[in-house]
Amino acid sequence: MADPLHHVIIGSGSAGFGAAATLRENDPDCRISMITMDSLPFYNRYDLPRIFRGCTDWHELLAVPPAYYSENRITLRRHNKVVDVDGKTQQIRLAHQEVIHFDSLLVCAGGRAYLPETLIDSAPLMHGFGSYEAAMRLYRDLPENGHAVMIGGDMIGIDLALTLLDTGRRVTLVTNAQTFWPHEPDDELRAQLLQALARRGIEVVQDARPATVTTPEGAERGRVVAFEDGTTMTADVVIPSCGLVPMVEFMLNAGVDIERGLLVTPELGTTHPHIWAAGDVCQIWNDEEKAYKFYHGWKNVRVMGELAARNIKGAHEIFDVKVEDRIEVDDQGNIHSTFWTH
Amino acid sequence: MNEHVKPVYLEEKLDEIRADGHLAYRSKSLPTWCPGCGYFAMQEGLTIALNRLGIRNEDAVVVSGIGCSSRFPFFVNTYGFHTLHGRTLPVATGVKTANDALTVVAIGGDGDGFAIGGGHIPHAARRNVDMTYMVFDNGIYGLTKGQTSPTTAVGFRSKTTPYANEDQPLHPLMMLLAYRASWVGQAYAGRPHHLADMMEQAIAHRGFSYLHILSPCVTFDKTDRTYANLNMQVQDLPDDHDPTDLMAAMAQAAAHEIPALGLFYREERPTLTDVMNDTAERARNAPAPAE
Amino acid sequence: MAKSRNGTDIQFAIIGSAGDGTIAAGDIMKRAAALMGYKVIAFDIYPPEIRGFGKCISRIRISSQQTYSLKHKSDVLISLNDSHAIAHVGEVRDFGAVLFEDSPIAAIPEGGHISAHIAAAQVPYGFANRRICEEATGKARSRNIVALGYAAGLFDIPAEIFHEIIAQKFAKKPQAVTDDNIRAFDAGFAAGKATFKLDDVRVGMPQQVANGKDAVMMTGNGAVARGFLEAGIDTYFGYPITPATSIMERLAAALPRAGGRFLQTEDEIAAISATLGAGYAGARAATATSGPGLALMTEMMGLGVMAEVPFVVVVSQRGGPSTGLPTKTEQSDLNLAVFGGSGDARRIVLAPTNVEGCYRCAGMAFEIAEKYQTPVIVLIDLYLSNRFETVIPPRENVFAPKPRIKPELPENQPYRRFALTDDGISPRALPGDEGHMHTVTGLEHNELGRPSDALHQQMNAKRHDKLTSATRYPGLTTCKRFGDEGRVKVGILGWGSTFGEILETMYAAQDEGISCAAMKVVMLSPLPEERINEFFDDCDHILVPELNHEGQFANLVSGALGRPVVRLNRTTGAPMMVDEILAEVRRLAQTGIGEGTHSPVQQQGATT
Ligand SMILES: Cc1cc2nc3c(=O)[nH]c(=O)nc-3n(C[C@H](O)[C@H](O)[C@H](O)COP(=O)(O)OP(=O)(O)OC[C@H]3O[C@@H](n4cnc5c(N)ncnc54)[C@H](O)[C@@H]3O)c2cc1C
Ligand SMILES: Cc1ncc(C[n+]2csc(CCOP(=O)(O)OP(=O)(O)O)c2C)c(N)n1
Ligand code: SF4
Ligand SMILES: [Mg+2]
Repeated sequence: MADPLHHVIIGSGSAGFGAAATLRENDPDCRISMITMDSLPFYNRYDLPRIFRGCTDWHELLAVPPAYYSENRITLRRHNKVVDVDGKTQQIRLAHQEVIHFDSLLVCAGGRAYLPETLIDSAPLMHGFGSYEAAMRLYRDLPENGHAVMIGGDMIGIDLALTLLDTGRRVTLVTNAQTFWPHEPDDELRAQLLQALARRGIEVVQDARPATVTTPEGAERGRVVAFEDGTTMTADVVIPSCGLVPMVEFMLNAGVDIERGLLVTPELGTTHPHIWAAGDVCQIWNDEEKAYKFYHGWKNVRVMGELAARNIKGAHEIFDVKVEDRIEVDDQGNIHSTFWTH
Repeated sequence: MNEHVKPVYLEEKLDEIRADGHLAYRSKSLPTWCPGCGYFAMQEGLTIALNRLGIRNEDAVVVSGIGCSSRFPFFVNTYGFHTLHGRTLPVATGVKTANDALTVVAIGGDGDGFAIGGGHIPHAARRNVDMTYMVFDNGIYGLTKGQTSPTTAVGFRSKTTPYANEDQPLHPLMMLLAYRASWVGQAYAGRPHHLADMMEQAIAHRGFSYLHILSPCVTFDKTDRTYANLNMQVQDLPDDHDPTDLMAAMAQAAAHEIPALGLFYREERPTLTDVMNDTAERARNAPAPAE
Repeated sequence: MAKSRNGTDIQFAIIGSAGDGTIAAGDIMKRAAALMGYKVIAFDIYPPEIRGFGKCISRIRISSQQTYSLKHKSDVLISLNDSHAIAHVGEVRDFGAVLFEDSPIAAIPEGGHISAHIAAAQVPYGFANRRICEEATGKARSRNIVALGYAAGLFDIPAEIFHEIIAQKFAKKPQAVTDDNIRAFDAGFAAGKATFKLDDVRVGMPQQVANGKDAVMMTGNGAVARGFLEAGIDTYFGYPITPATSIMERLAAALPRAGGRFLQTEDEIAAISATLGAGYAGARAATATSGPGLALMTEMMGLGVMAEVPFVVVVSQRGGPSTGLPTKTEQSDLNLAVFGGSGDARRIVLAPTNVEGCYRCAGMAFEIAEKYQTPVIVLIDLYLSNRFETVIPPRENVFAPKPRIKPELPENQPYRRFALTDDGISPRALPGDEGHMHTVTGLEHNELGRPSDALHQQMNAKRHDKLTSATRYPGLTTCKRFGDEGRVKVGILGWGSTFGEILETMYAAQDEGISCAAMKVVMLSPLPEERINEFFDDCDHILVPELNHEGQFANLVSGALGRPVVRLNRTTGAPMMVDEILAEVRRLAQTGIGEGTHSPVQQQGATT
């Protein structure tokens, strides 16, 4: 008997997990390796705000029980960072110098939080929110009646901000170009949306450009945000929330086309016959618009992962989920996004 | 032995013996050896030697293995340990190590020493345990009634070599010299005075002294190692033999089919007790060992 | 762990190759835990081959309450070498932690990194051990210490404790070595501290710091050596054999300093012969060996019984028969220890169940041997020999000194070394005692010690009966009951190292609501039959788990009492698993005697 095919997936987010599960359903014999930098098995990142509602135990966040992986013979390799993909030899190299051969590679590496250049030096003093660990650190450092300053306010951040408010915290939103990312509301809608947020209790600060984040002198906790105009604001935590940029650095040698994300056909194939991509990391060809487009939001992403898996196994399905990119405020003043949902 | 001669012999000898005091080293048990067995001479010799050396009865321990020869401790009035076949030397080593003040004499047969116990001899010798080892070599297994031993001559017919022994017998004196016993001598049951002298010297030696004693088994060897044959064959070491010369000792041991009687080799070197005391000294000055 | 015993109970497994400092790291970890006041049980496994890079494992269980064995599952695995650790990832419990090296060294083949083998339920902690080490010390040598530091930082164990132990450990080396290792530790500690903890392993400081400074980490073999020394051992003759060798090595270092005498003999026969010779001459004499050595020694054991000579033989069992499994544990030399040799040769056999027991049994063996004028065997096994436990040694010497009573000499009567007395114990004179000259022998003898067959039956009875009172020797636990009092459903009867797992099983069974008791039997010969019988009376079922194929202890007890037992026998080379015993206890608690019972005696009827 020939060796079973080795399907390697980079990333254990919605896309990667959906793909692994689908691969197994379609082929009981193949080898499946899911390589991830995460330390936890797959959980829905959109569940992370629940931490502030008391759900701090990561076991409760897991999408499937840990036994799922062994039962389905999915090798989950955590703390593994892919540093290089060699398209010619079909090998990927991990940071610890392990080399893994693949018969097919599905890249679901997602995106990393974007940080405006002026704030990069202050990054160590800011609180990210992209992983369970980051969210827990934020939870730890932000007391129940504490004050959070959020810079930007992408859709991930807005969701968090509302949860923080609902759980008794004070939130100041310092807006910028990435507010409401990935939506790009026009000025009028943007004003409405901000008003809705303000009505909910979020303190909205516009046209202020943060320059530095520091710790208050002599204090162990707390942060001071200094703005370019010289004014300052104190808080317990400062949360950057400026959208995501695709993680593609390790794909430079792979022999695939990259623009901002990995460029894929509607079948989610790259220019390499054995490499596919799905999720936040890829831009999919949209034939109507004649452009490669990002499709964010967990629903889209999950569909992409599953579809890529079926295509890897020989199908020729096309990603045509045309969820309208729309965001609006309803009569009660609640914000609705067409694809950014639970 | 002739019935008529006995009383006369006893009358004459006993006075001499009593006056000498060595009878105090005989036990109340009478030897169980066959009449005429060479071992009687050993009993006499050892009691004389102990007496001459002034060793108190309670300070002597005679350790033996199993065999006719190893019955010895029962017939001397000292402490005695009749151990297991072949284990004479290690038991004796234990006794001496536990109590330096004791005079330890180890006794066994040729089978006990060189067959089953052969593995122990080199180690007692090289360690120079301060004791005397006497092997009563009759070239046969006496107690088990006449089987071949490691010193049985080629051509001898025993119950276990009914078609004649073809094995090369080993050479106890050469072995002990090679093992660096610090005192190596040979005596013969048929020369009781020389035997007693040799025993006395051997016991007096500080270190491991090995005395090989040729002894006929009158019951199971009627052809080879008989008094008659031995009387004809034995000779003394030449007067000019230098007992401090190991090579000369080797040459003498190899010179005759039945090597000569006398002291082949002697050297002074630290005994096991000395070495242990020295180790203790160095250990006390060294840093404490880890827990 | 049993619910009834709460508090910290964490088991670390440190796995690497011989060159990685695995055992050294384990040593520091266990000593640190002991210093903190934890109870520690630990067991190291070395490669069978001496050179090269064979697998080393150090398992360390630390707990705030007394535990009795290693756990089947570890809470934390620290890999110092993935090629060895990978095979052991499965022993980490769900939500336990796996710590491993993350920084690149050389190309690793696919699957060669431990991260490929960690189950989803386990929590991985990759850290750049080599890089951290090189940055801290300029060298990569102290990676084992970096890993310890990382673990300490992660699990919240105070760094100062480790600093103290590291300084002790390297005290004999140049100061720079200590400094480097402290730096390595601190760098690892910082990394661990900064890591977000996802597992549910908690260590911290124990609630009551119990005698941290007084507790001593000892192996069973270390405890034997210590017991010997404290009891004033005079001579040790021995021949190296795994797993008893380290007793010999310790005494080689310690005995000459303590005024005793040590000699490595040419074989085990010489070792026991010289031991017997020394015992005969009045010394406290001991030797130690394993099964193959004991096989060689049996003839001399018989002489010790016959000639009524006191001496001590420690036997650490390994897998058998023959050369067997030199580096694996087993309890299959019970028959040899209790019965081995020719003739009716009852002797005293003590089988301690833990490290402290090794210390006590070894120390008391001399006085017992002297009192009963007979050899005493202390029977342990590789698992007990090599496992570490925290012991708080008594402040004062607890062992009785050597009695030196020169027997009275009745007037006008010869000294009767083997006089038939009421208790079977005859007056014993030593070489050097004036007026008591006598010869002892392995031949049957009369009261004077002279060879004679006439009194064989009486002498046999004397040698047998004189030992009976030893089952109640003051100050010695010869058997002991644990667990529920009164009538119980299941009684677990055990001996030796396995009793740790038995106790753990018993507590677990109690937690499940099964009425359960356990009895350890320390004196295997003579057997404290009366109390064992009472235990049988109280139990619906008696289960005897032991590490041999035939059920040697089960046969011993079952034969002596004429009562059936249920056997549980394993010879995997590893200690018995609590889960396995527990499964059997559950089965017995529910169904009564069934399959798995091999005792021929069992056929005779119900258990009670
Ligand atoms: C906090 C948060 C809240 C969100 N809330 C919502 C919501 O409410 N509604 C909604 O629709 N969407 C939400 N989203 C967005 C949505 O979840 C994302 O679109 C989706 O998570 C993207 O999934 P993915 O599988 O493409 O990538 P991700 O989930 O980002 O996963 C990327 C994976 O790739 C791995 N990886 C990256 N680089 C490497 C490398 N070099 N080597 C190895 N592994 C690598 C990472 O470790 C990770 O496992 C939220 C996102 C976040 C972060
Ligand atoms: C272990 C053992 N094997 C065998 C015997 C039987 N055995 C007793 S004495 C002996 C040989 C005795 O020969 P040797 O040592 O030369 O003594 P001798 O009787 O000749 O003086 C033998 C084989 C024994 N007692 N023990
Ligand atoms: S059998 Fe031989 S050795 Fe034994 S006592 Fe008789 S003569 Fe002496
Ligand atoms: Mg003989």
